[in-house]
Amino acid sequence: MTEPRHVIVVDLGYGDAGKGTIVDWLCATRPVTTVIRFNGGAQAAHNVVTPDGRHHTFAQFGSGTLHGVRTHLSRFMMVDPLALAAEAGHLAGLGVASPFELLTVDRQALLTTPWHRAANRAREAARGDDRHGSCGMGVGETAAFALAHPDLAVRAGDTGSPATLVRKLRAIRDALTAELGPLDAPPVEAVAEAFRWFGTAIRLVSSSRQALRGPCVFEGAQGVLLDEWRGFHPYTTWSTTTFDNAETLLGETGDGDALRLGVVRTYTTRHGAGPLVTEDPRLTAALPERHNAHGPWQGAWRAGHFDAVAHRYAVEVCGGVDALAVTHSDVAARHDLKMCLSYGQLDRIVPGERGDLAYQEKLTQTLATATPVYTGLADLGEALGAPVAVTSHGPTWRDKSPGREADGSTARRSSQ
Amino acid sequence: MGSGRWSTDVYAAAAGYRAATGASAFAYSDSGARTVHDALNPHGVTVRESRDSDQHPRSTPIAILFDVTGSMGAVPRVLQTKLPELFGLLIRKGYCTDPQILFGAIGDATCDRAPLQIGQFESDNRMDDDLGRILLEGGGGGQRTESYELAMYFMARHTALDTVARGRRGYLFIIGDEMAYQRVKPDEVRRVVGDTIAEPISTEAIVAELQRSYDVYFIMPAQASYTGDAEILGHWRRLLGQNVIELDDLDAVCETIALTVGLGEDATDLDSGLVDLAEAGSAAGPTVGKALAPLGGTRGALVRSALPAGFGDGRATPVTRL
Repeated sequence: MTEPRHVIVVDLGYGDAGKGTIVDWLCATRPVTTVIRFNGGAQAAHNVVTPDGRHHTFAQFGSGTLHGVRTHLSRFMMVDPLALAAEAGHLAGLGVASPFELLTVDRQALLTTPWHRAANRAREAARGDDRHGSCGMGVGETAAFALAHPDLAVRAGDTGSPATLVRKLRAIRDALTAELGPLDAPPVEAVAEAFRWFGTAIRLVSSSRQALRGPCVFEGAQGVLLDEWRGFHPYTTWSTTTFDNAETLLGETGDGDALRLGVVRTYTTRHGAGPLVTEDPRLTAALPERHNAHGPWQGAWRAGHFDAVAHRYAVEVCGGVDALAVTHSDVAARHDLKMCLSYGQLDRIVPGERGDLAYQEKLTQTLATATPVYTGLADLGEALGAPVAVTSHGPTWRDKSPGREADGSTARRSSQ
Repeated sequence: MGSGRWSTDVYAAAAGYRAATGASAFAYSDSGARTVHDALNPHGVTVRESRDSDQHPRSTPIAILFDVTGSMGAVPRVLQTKLPELFGLLIRKGYCTDPQILFGAIGDATCDRAPLQIGQFESDNRMDDDLGRILLEGGGGGQRTESYELAMYFMARHTALDTVARGRRGYLFIIGDEMAYQRVKPDEVRRVVGDTIAEPISTEAIVAELQRSYDVYFIMPAQASYTGDAEILGHWRRLLGQNVIELDDLDAVCETIALTVGLGEDATDLDSGLVDLAEAGSAAGPTVGKALAPLGGTRGALVRSALPAGFGDGRATPVTRL
């Protein structure tokens, strides 16, 4: 079998399965030229730890940056120029010489502004106890605003035209403050200036074609179970988290040769509100997340046993995977993890029609009362019907082993 | 701004981007380099090629050479920041098929360390890399002449364009504010390009040779030292006829080039081109309109039909837009 040129990395759970560390490993061990972001925005938090102990939470830069791999933010990304500058500053502190030189941004990519962010927080705060588990970064607001006002949404290409930029930023501020009242954000002119400099410092491009010349890794954000159409409504993200966007970009260059890699943890986690059938407070307490604290906007970090039912649903709705990456197998080696192959009342979550949010809401209600039936943690590849291509038993790229050893016992041997 | 791990200050962001721009745009020159970058050295170069390929089946070569001496040192910096707009306009508005852009820099062969720098025709961001490697001379002779004729010699004899085989020509823009020397000198050609030529070539003759492969334009921006200088404008008008463009605002240079190509390809007329610019959010419309009025007004008689005999062998196709 010849190895596909590109790899698409998608999280099959509720996010936080470890896409960052898998992308880091791919970039360390393959001749990857570019990491392409194809969904979400600055709310991604992909933690990478280097063998020499450096740590970065990748949000908009690709998780291969510390290997010098370029990042392309495709038109499906919502780019936050202010957060991007801060992230570049941190990367420079870690020794990346000129972070912006490693970036290209599609001119069509939507830009997240401080008003989107403030509106996001205002809305989420108003929901009180019914929070959606948003990250408070304004990514969903950016998507929603662009759908409602396509002519006023700011895109990366607008940063080259000062008049358009200021006009659109004013319109965003006015529309959102009219709806929500005064928002905590800097003056339009200051934002416009920062955005203009963003457009000057970073190379804007008209398509993803150039980025796709070399072998690429597509780095997904969030997880399939949070997908805007396939996730459990309303606890979802405003983003297509499946392979779809990546494959659209590949289709445009006539280059469909990509490995569809699904990332799972040996246990199931969720950051914020929404269904988590296998949630186990003892597991949450026993397995605190080093880089995923209780977020001021996102809410609690939650852990549960491996939910094969929900993950099988994810595999099904995203059209299947070629291989799996299994992370946290060191945890499986140290803790008594279980696996849920069916719920009390059902053993399969049946996908609905794409776009039927009423159906997705019904699923959410069903999952709220579902009870897990447990067995011992077995081979995740078998449970999900795909070969395990890589297993991770530690935070750095050196802590990865190719091949299947997903269950605790073999992982214990390999981590000696 | 709000609280939380990701809050950032808008001014800090602007400063961060600005600093990155200053540090990286012309890294080679700004790092104190004194000699022509290997990638841009014309010496010993056989040809710089603009080729058709599966990905770019109908290449349109666009060469942009600028004077990097004296007051013209700002030109490449403006080009660097405006480059995305140029490329975006060409592609988005369909002004030409498969643009391939080459950058070069012109100095003075009688006294400069970098009398001629020539990149490659690139259809992607690598042209930006070439731009970043250009040595910004900054000096200049101050005698109202630069070695433009040497650059034109190189472009006439050391480039190969597939578009010519298709009965078309490329575009060559020279951005400058001084005159060419009267002839191409054998010793300079030997020293800078590495060719042996027996006798000097008159600048008129090298222009005629160059025009077999390129529509040649001279752009003289307002910030230049000798803007509006009748002698210099007259010099270039004698060489290039109406293809001399006076530009009030250097900031409009990319839009001017894009629209000139659009006019040359019959892909737009001046009026709709200016509408395109406005739509693209460019404020350069009035400047470009004024600069290109002489070209736009005489479109009927201009360039495209005037291929020299022997080119295209009857295969030359009329301009068609896909």
